[in-house]
Amino acid sequence: MINLLKMDLTRFLTNKIMYVFLLVFIAFQMFGIFMLKQYEQPVEAGEILIRRMNESEFIQMMLAQTPSWILMYIAVFSVYFYMSEYNSGFYKNYISMNNARRNSVLSKILILGIFTLFMFIVMLIADLIGRSLFFQQAAIGDSGYFVKLLIGQFLLHWAFAIVVLCAVMMIKQAIPSIVIGIILSLNVFGMVAGALESLVSDTNLSAYLLVNTIVDIKDFDQINDVVHVVSVAIIFLFVFSIIAVRYKRKEDLR
Amino acid sequence: MSNAIIEVKQLSKQFKSNVAVNNVNFNIRKGDIFGLIGPNGAGKSTLLKMIGGLIYPSSGEIHLFDHTMRENHPYFERMGLLIEEAGIFPHYSAYKNLDLIAISYGIKNRKKHIEQLLELVGLDKSNKTKVKNYSMGMKQRLGIAMALIGSPDVLILDEPINGLDPQGISEIRQLILELNKTGITLIISSHILEELSKVATTYAILHHGKIIEIISKEELLLQCEDRIELEVDDPKMTVLILENHLGIQRYKVIDDHTIYVYETDIETQQIIQSLAENKIFVHSIAKHKQSLEQYFLERTGSSGGADD
Ligand SMILES: Nc1ncnc2c1ncn2[C@@H]1O[C@H](COP(=O)(O)OP(=O)(O)O)[C@@H](O)[C@H]1O
Ligand SMILES: [Mg+2]
Repeated sequence: MINLLKMDLTRFLTNKIMYVFLLVFIAFQMFGIFMLKQYEQPVEAGEILIRRMNESEFIQMMLAQTPSWILMYIAVFSVYFYMSEYNSGFYKNYISMNNARRNSVLSKILILGIFTLFMFIVMLIADLIGRSLFFQQAAIGDSGYFVKLLIGQFLLHWAFAIVVLCAVMMIKQAIPSIVIGIILSLNVFGMVAGALESLVSDTNLSAYLLVNTIVDIKDFDQINDVVHVVSVAIIFLFVFSIIAVRYKRKEDLR
Repeated sequence: MSNAIIEVKQLSKQFKSNVAVNNVNFNIRKGDIFGLIGPNGAGKSTLLKMIGGLIYPSSGEIHLFDHTMRENHPYFERMGLLIEEAGIFPHYSAYKNLDLIAISYGIKNRKKHIEQLLELVGLDKSNKTKVKNYSMGMKQRLGIAMALIGSPDVLILDEPINGLDPQGISEIRQLILELNKTGITLIISSHILEELSKVATTYAILHHGKIIEIISKEELLLQCEDRIELEVDDPKMTVLILENHLGIQRYKVIDDHTIYVYETDIETQQIIQSLAENKIFVHSIAKHKQSLEQYFLERTGSSGGADD
């Protein structure tokens, strides 16, 4: 396990495309903030001006807007990282090792976690620079709240990466998998499920779908909201990790 | 067979309605070079993938080193695989590709190990070219080096000389023999018998997923050696005359009527004459010539071999 992880990590860290991804993301994120400044609207009751927002509020505002760019980057990277190895057939060289099938999936999952972490760090850097450039402030706000928000959203995004990993493992083709990833990022599925549910009952189970949980603005001072976020994240993380490992163990490899 | 390190029993693999490998049985002993021959689509790669643990059998059993294999069994670890195309990252150099696997095997002293392997397969260790720019032959060599990481006991090479020039072919053959000398058991597949004829110790002919024949190198060479086929009434007498009157040492009595003589420089006329003088009636006599390829095609249907 450790050795396979080391191998994936070497491949991940020496991969120029990963850094290009992060740079492009920074650039677009700052450009997005610049556009917010250009088109800042006078707000309606109950909302706050972007220039008054702290980082927690800013992140929540950005994540609530679909399409979620950060989800798209994660989706595309997950597909890329898996497919580049799958297409090359490189796995054939190590898959006969004991438990290599399970371990290689676990290692992919960890790498996607690291990539998600990098995305969050880069997002914070871009936000803070962008906000101080265009809104002349970069307040973080309550640090306890900020940390809870980051951890919660990080887990949700990581779980999302694993969902995409599962999809690409089963689809085995890059382009269709990316399309699925983007559809998931646009939350088409969550919105349709929500609409259907509201037609047939007055429950709100679809709010517990992964991407719905990501885009809904939550109050991390409310224990209910924290439980909601953490439980959805952990359940999706575990369920899709287990599906991915089981699938790989049974898979007939090319 | 107790000294078999690989035993395959009733092994089958079905893809939807297509039976790619059908009830295959064989044993491979330690130190063998096992040649698997069959036309394209015969099921060679499918069979090798099952033995290497890449795909799962639909039915049947594989025993490696006296242990029954099920999914993810540790004994697969002692196999080095080069099946179909070599699994290499096209945008990395040979060294980097090898380094990544060496890391995944937890090998200490990677640099030394990799440099030794590159030298063994005849690749330049300071070559920084991306593998995608390699020739077919260089990719195959790299593939073999990759399969050798982790010092396997068994090396599976699927059509290792496919697409190589004659020079490359002879170098890979040399390499195969060298590896075999270090104690590695090899399984090699090919759709051309001739390619393997100089290295393998045992041959299995696979056709439409079934093994049609398993034959040792000696038997095969004997089968394909030029010979005079002689049909007589009294083989016992005939043999005495062949030995005593004509000085023939290399012959084989096939059945009650048939004798094969492998000393083909003798004239058939001479044989007939000697036998007639001793009142032995010759029903027929013919010179028989068969190339390895003919032998193979005869068994896989003479339609030219490739059937897909
Ligand atoms: N993954 C697969 N799915 C469906 N059919 C397959 C698959 N792999 C191989 N086959 C079929 O099995 C047969 C044997 O293929 P293969 O083992 O590649 O033959 P060989 O290596 O001898 O050329 C062929 O008819 C091929 O089309
Ligand atoms: Mg093949």
